[in-house]
Amino acid sequence: MDFRLTEEQTLLRNSARDFLNREWPTTELRRMLDPEDAAAAADAFRSKIVELGWPGLLIAEEYEGLGLGHFDLAVLMEETGRRLTPGGMLAGGAPAAMALQRFGGEEAKQKYLPKIAEGEIRATLGVYQAGSGWTLMLLDPPADGAVTKRWVPDAAGADLILCANRTGGNAVELTAAANPEIADLRSLDVTRPLFEVSYGPGGAEKIGEGTVGDLQAVIDQAAIALAAEMVGAAAELLDLTVAYIKQRKQFGRSVATFQAVQHKAADMYIEIEKARTAVYYAAAAADEQPENLARAASMAKAAANAACVETAKKAIQLHGGIGFTWEQDMHLYLKRAKACEHTFGDTNWHLDRLAHGLGI
Amino acid sequence: MQRLQDTPAEAAFRQRLRAWLAANAPTAASGGVEALKAWQKKLYEAGWLGLNWPKEYGGQGASFREQVVYNEEVIRARTPAPINGIGLMIVGPTLIAVGSEEQKARYLAPILSAEEIWCQGFSEPNAGSDLAGLQTRAVSDGDDYIVTGQKIWTSNSRIADYIFLLARTDPDAPRHKGITALIVDTKTPGVTVKPLRQITGDAEFGEIFIDEARVPKANRIGEENDGWIVAMKTFTRERANISISTSVRLQQQCGNLIAAIEGRGVPADPQLRREVARAYLDSECLNLTCERMSEQLFGFESSMVKIVGSEVNQRLQELGLSTLGPDAALTPDGDFEKTWQFGFLRSRGNTIEGGTSEILRGIVAERILGLPRK
Repeated sequence: MDFRLTEEQTLLRNSARDFLNREWPTTELRRMLDPEDAAAAADAFRSKIVELGWPGLLIAEEYEGLGLGHFDLAVLMEETGRRLTPGGMLAGGAPAAMALQRFGGEEAKQKYLPKIAEGEIRATLGVYQAGSGWTLMLLDPPADGAVTKRWVPDAAGADLILCANRTGGNAVELTAAANPEIADLRSLDVTRPLFEVSYGPGGAEKIGEGTVGDLQAVIDQAAIALAAEMVGAAAELLDLTVAYIKQRKQFGRSVATFQAVQHKAADMYIEIEKARTAVYYAAAAADEQPENLARAASMAKAAANAACVETAKKAIQLHGGIGFTWEQDMHLYLKRAKACEHTFGDTNWHLDRLAHGLGI
Repeated sequence: MQRLQDTPAEAAFRQRLRAWLAANAPTAASGGVEALKAWQKKLYEAGWLGLNWPKEYGGQGASFREQVVYNEEVIRARTPAPINGIGLMIVGPTLIAVGSEEQKARYLAPILSAEEIWCQGFSEPNAGSDLAGLQTRAVSDGDDYIVTGQKIWTSNSRIADYIFLLARTDPDAPRHKGITALIVDTKTPGVTVKPLRQITGDAEFGEIFIDEARVPKANRIGEENDGWIVAMKTFTRERANISISTSVRLQQQCGNLIAAIEGRGVPADPQLRREVARAYLDSECLNLTCERMSEQLFGFESSMVKIVGSEVNQRLQELGLSTLGPDAALTPDGDFEKTWQFGFLRSRGNTIEGGTSEILRGIVAERILGLPRK
């Protein structure tokens, strides 16, 4: 096994870090807290990442994308996670592109993928329904052609809303909603709004088909990218916390000299490194070993859930009172961590799937 | 690029080793010190030991990755661990790093072949986590040191031919600067080894009493009063090697645990399933982390992997015990060392030996995260 970054990946990481520090500083991030300004801030950010080609990262070159892989995406997501960038995974484009590439007929791919890659249209993907949890077999087939999808990121600004519907048994269809109703679900993490999308009979065009297994594979790919983002957020929190506790003095000395404080910081580091390993392994499996995708994705997501949520909680604790204030960024990371934990499968869901895979 | 597959060279190495192990591995029944020495000698003569040691001292000059493949395959084949683990994992690498040419030529090959077994005389009754407080004295006397003191928690001391010993040579120097590393023959007059019974009932460890034992100065490793630097190099190696071998053994234990649950013939309750899945996840992550961080593993990062490995093993053993239901409260018949009860008891030592988890978390905080000591 070889988890070292290639020269290109190191370049991607470094240039992304510079770009994000410059273009998405805390002042921009905090515009997301203002309901009047949030959409404008997210749009401005999005137009900048289009210039870098990020929405087309996973899209094949024949469809005008960058034609990169899941490991590359993970490297990039670690950086976007550090800065809490808005939008669901590169502004919703990644899961939609994954679904289109897996389910879409050639006509649909020709029609949509180049436009997503070049930033002409914004796409997002709706999968889950009230009552389905994260278990795709619990998706109810559309009754009389009516579909309602919950927890859809970026739906308000999207030009293309894809819906993956189980139509019965293992069959899944991918549709493009024409003029769906969109309701803001008031996300806990305001930097990443979630919506409910619904359409009635004839309200969408079918653009592809596949199986529940195909859809789970798309979710697994997306879960790995999300887990990478969570590792990035946790790593940033650790950096911020280490810097804070070094300079914060109580009892006449730096609080970082206290063993109880040191051990919490050490545990943050340990959980992050474990999760980073799981993410790199899963991203490599997504590129090279489809037979290991499900197991690896569950490892990555469960490990990232633990690392990100625990790190966010410890970061607030170690910042003390200031970490509990609105003015400080810790709460933004905590809310992001919690929201991500419950996206694409929570810890128990993934542990159950791992246990099933182990035959128990 | 391909990340998960063996390279052609690794695949060939794996295939060759797997075939050799299938033809040569001892049966489970063949225990005992002499049988284990013979097994290690066989491994050595076939060229499977000292993989990453230099060729001139009997090693193979292989890559780290080949060492990983070796670990995976011996666990897969369930062969016994080489009996001279301290020599292979701790003393040998230390001598290669800081030993004299004479010492390398004299001691390395017999370590590999198990003709000479080693133990590590570091801890003392009053110097555990605070190792620099050790009180064993080595007083210069012509070409020799006269050594007096007591060592404790010494693995393999009962079968050891040599002790890798730390002793104080300058009682007036600051604590870390008056310590010297020595090679001590256990047959030296004045050296007495006594077994130390542990909570498992076994006496895997021992105590070493040293009363005016005469040790030649030629047996000094490194310079006089440089023993602390030698010890620090040793520690990172010890923790890294413990972690690598633990991570592979953990995966095997996970397999045993799953088999135990299946063997009960009743569905596992949801809580147990999740805890097993989490232990599986953690042991896989540890193994993969050792590979991902292989270049840093002989630095302070070894502390992190040692913390994880020891704590996961404790959880695994306790889960294994819980699969027994009411029988968990019993002492089973047969080989106690193969039971969950033994595993549970033995694992309590994992977070103490080779650096307590508390000391190691301090190392992570101070040496990796750069937090201040004072």
